Amino acid sequence: MSPTSERPSVAIRIAALDALPEGEERQPAILAALEEAAPAVRERAIRLAARYVEPAVLGELVADDTNAARRNGAIAALERQGPYALPQLQSMLGLENLDVAMFALQVLARIGDPAPTAAILPLLRHPNLNVAQSAIEALGQLRSREAVPALLGLLRGELWLQLAAIDALGAIGDPRAVGPLVELVPDSVVAEPALESLQRLAAPESLEPLLACLVIVRERSLLDALLLAVGVVIDLHPDPAPAAARLRDELALGHGDALLPYLEQVLNGTAASGDLLRAAAALTVVAGLEALLPLVLHRIADPEGAPWAEALFRRHPDALRGSLDRLLGDADARIRRGALLAAGFGPDDLPTLVNLLGDPEAPVRAAACRALGSTGAEAVAPLLAERLRSGEPIERAAAVQGLALLPPAALGELEPCLAPGAAEEVTIRALEVLGLRPHAAFEARILELAGSRSTALRRAALRAVAQIGGSRADVTLVRALADRSRPVQLEALELLVRRGGERTAVTLSALLSAGDSLRYHVIRALGHLRAEGAAGKLRALYPECGPHERLEIVSALIRIAPRDLAEFLRARLEEPEAELRRIATGGLAELADPAQLPLLLTLAEDADWNVRNEAARGLGLLGLPACRPPLLTLVRDVEPVVARTARKALDALPSVAIPA
Amino acid sequence: MTRFQAAEWKLLTDLIQDRFGLTFDGVRCEILESRLEPRLRELHLGSLSDYYRFLRFHPEGDAELGRLTPLITNNETYFFREAHHFDILVRRIVPDLRSALRTRPLRILSAACSSGEEPYSIVIALQNGGLELAGVRWEIDACDLNPERVAQARRGLYDAGSLRACDGEARRRYFRESGGRFELRERYRTGVRFFEANLLAPNGSFGWGSYDAIFCRNMLIYFGEEAFDGVIGLFARSLAPGGYLLLGHSESLLDRATELLPVSFGTGVVYRKRLSD
Repeated sequence: MSPTSERPSVAIRIAALDALPEGEERQPAILAALEEAAPAVRERAIRLAARYVEPAVLGELVADDTNAARRNGAIAALERQGPYALPQLQSMLGLENLDVAMFALQVLARIGDPAPTAAILPLLRHPNLNVAQSAIEALGQLRSREAVPALLGLLRGELWLQLAAIDALGAIGDPRAVGPLVELVPDSVVAEPALESLQRLAAPESLEPLLACLVIVRERSLLDALLLAVGVVIDLHPDPAPAAARLRDELALGHGDALLPYLEQVLNGTAASGDLLRAAAALTVVAGLEALLPLVLHRIADPEGAPWAEALFRRHPDALRGSLDRLLGDADARIRRGALLAAGFGPDDLPTLVNLLGDPEAPVRAAACRALGSTGAEAVAPLLAERLRSGEPIERAAAVQGLALLPPAALGELEPCLAPGAAEEVTIRALEVLGLRPHAAFEARILELAGSRSTALRRAALRAVAQIGGSRADVTLVRALADRSRPVQLEALELLVRRGGERTAVTLSALLSAGDSLRYHVIRALGHLRAEGAAGKLRALYPECGPHERLEIVSALIRIAPRDLAEFLRARLEEPEAELRRIATGGLAELADPAQLPLLLTLAEDADWNVRNEAARGLGLLGLPACRPPLLTLVRDVEPVVARTARKALDALPSVAIPA
Repeated sequence: MTRFQAAEWKLLTDLIQDRFGLTFDGVRCEILESRLEPRLRELHLGSLSDYYRFLRFHPEGDAELGRLTPLITNNETYFFREAHHFDILVRRIVPDLRSALRTRPLRILSAACSSGEEPYSIVIALQNGGLELAGVRWEIDACDLNPERVAQARRGLYDAGSLRACDGEARRRYFRESGGRFELRERYRTGVRFFEANLLAPNGSFGWGSYDAIFCRNMLIYFGEEAFDGVIGLFARSLAPGGYLLLGHSESLLDRATELLPVSFGTGVVYRKRLSD
């Protein structure tokens, strides 16, 4: 045997750690495993240390600089203990060992609980730079507004502290930092970090000075940082147009000659990050930089599209007004298509748009279909219907969108598309329109098409049926539950659930007595409908069902929430199937009923991680002071998912001061 | 970012790890989510916990687990990936076996072979090494969990992406181009046998002491600890005494207790089973 083969495998070592019995030997074994070479074993040891080793013990390991492996493991475990470790970590801030204070600050920052803020603030002026820097970083991560005045005072100090303070101010997001940060741009060694923080602040008052900098800066890396900041500020600014217009005027006067070529390069480039591209587009649109607008329209016209750029034009509808005719007549089809997709149109634009229906490029014609629909003019319906019947696929899809934007009265043009003998694809397209925009004149035909031989036709017709009111439509959808095609059945069920209504619930309840495979979906549908009337029947059905339906019945009843739900769920906790216990615990959690607290406390100690997780969620939803102690235990759970849930629940509880 | 809760991810990924041995971290969860979303829509299920319960309890759950396989397996592979391994096989492993190979074929396992690029690359390397002319025969067993990939491997028809490490000459020599796709020429399919297999199936075995070399590259990184140990144990049992295991560049047995010992061949580390106890 080789020497290595005498050592148990990683899986066996992990299992041995998990199996450690409570007692004197557990802690030393866990701490020893913090030094394991195998990352997976070390990770398990950290989890167990977070759960079973007290913060004071872990704090001693952090102070032991002779054993780096244990120190690292202890730091990780303290972090995972979260709020439970706060008093210990806070006490470590005052220790003479400055490394310990620094580690404690870093852990407190990662835990993110604001309770120790007051204890950290004095450390901003600590004579040891590492400690002071860690304190700045911690207060930034804790988003401590109380720290802002002191951090502003550090902006002209020692470089490392200055950098940390800039970053912290960006993280905190207090507008008091805007002026001092803007002062650092463009002529300082910390201009780029200051811009990053201004970007995070996204304060409207920073737009004007940032745009002023854009005109004078020439260095590419600084321009990128500036543009990114400008992009975010424009995005969140209530009215960026006046400031942007001043920039345009400056450019018109010949100032900032490097800016337009730079923006052009970004808008043309494939290497630019998405954020930079969007920022350049935002500035172009808001400032109305006509020479660059075609480059933004190119992006919109790309096959993969650019919904963000379309949204930009929707937000600034006048951006294209002055140059629209020129753009729609551009020799480049992508510009024509982009302009059609970006601009807003009214009845006055009809001649131009109709003209573009004859464009040699199908993508342009398709965009014209959508634009024509957006005018809402009934007169365009025949044109769009014709495209729906005989256009290229891209035009047909666009014609559906365009027609669906027209008033219902205009949809009479669809008659030939729905008539017997029309091509199936055309009929399906017409049904798509009616699925988006119902029209009473076609109700009979739609109901008829719901009985077609073609599955695709039936599905499309059912979507249109769902838009029709009244009992005939209900009956058609209910009948479709017995369709020979499973996808059609499920489509009908989903459409019925979306229609909602008591009658649907009654119909579906009646289907519960049929023991076919659809019943599983019917049970789920009743839950989604929150069909109170079905609760009794679901409960009665429970004992007769297979496990998959039982689980869905419990889920459905949790959604419906009948009066005696708690009792039903408690009974499920007695069942041997673990999954039922999990769902029942989730249901009890959602009740957020103080009467369930004792039971949730018991479930918080369950052997099953999922049950503990649901109990943690429930304790958080209850939000009672009595929930804090069990949550402080769950926050150290060996299962990270449970620990995270408990942490979230704790964050929602009222904050508790840490004893000094 | 994922729209699903951490707890439901754990339910599903624990099930996948239990059944297939594969683990999922953040990025892989995002990939999995994008692959699962359409399937959830088809089944009219709204959440991962719905899907998890469907897999575990619905009468069609087992069939659905079969459909899940292609969604969770990593199919990223191409011809001559980590080509130094083929060099080690031809120049270092086979010469040691020359006398034994006079009376029996060289036996190789390509585990998690995906769509077959690896086993076919081995055949090409053996052909190019002149072993056929030297009278060496070979049997290459190639297996994968994903039945669709196995079927694709049998067809031997590839997109250009699978040939990314092949120059123009190699493309012409080994493949016949047809409609933008590349069909592997018949002579480079000699001795390869494809089959479906789950390396984590209980009591799995490829035959005790069968193989002279096992290729299993860039799969173990997705395995949890238990599955990793289990598969390495399976490989150790399936290798002939003195047989070699070739792993991907980011996979290692160096910090593990196994009966396979690292051997450096200059261009890379491989693992070898002892010649005898």
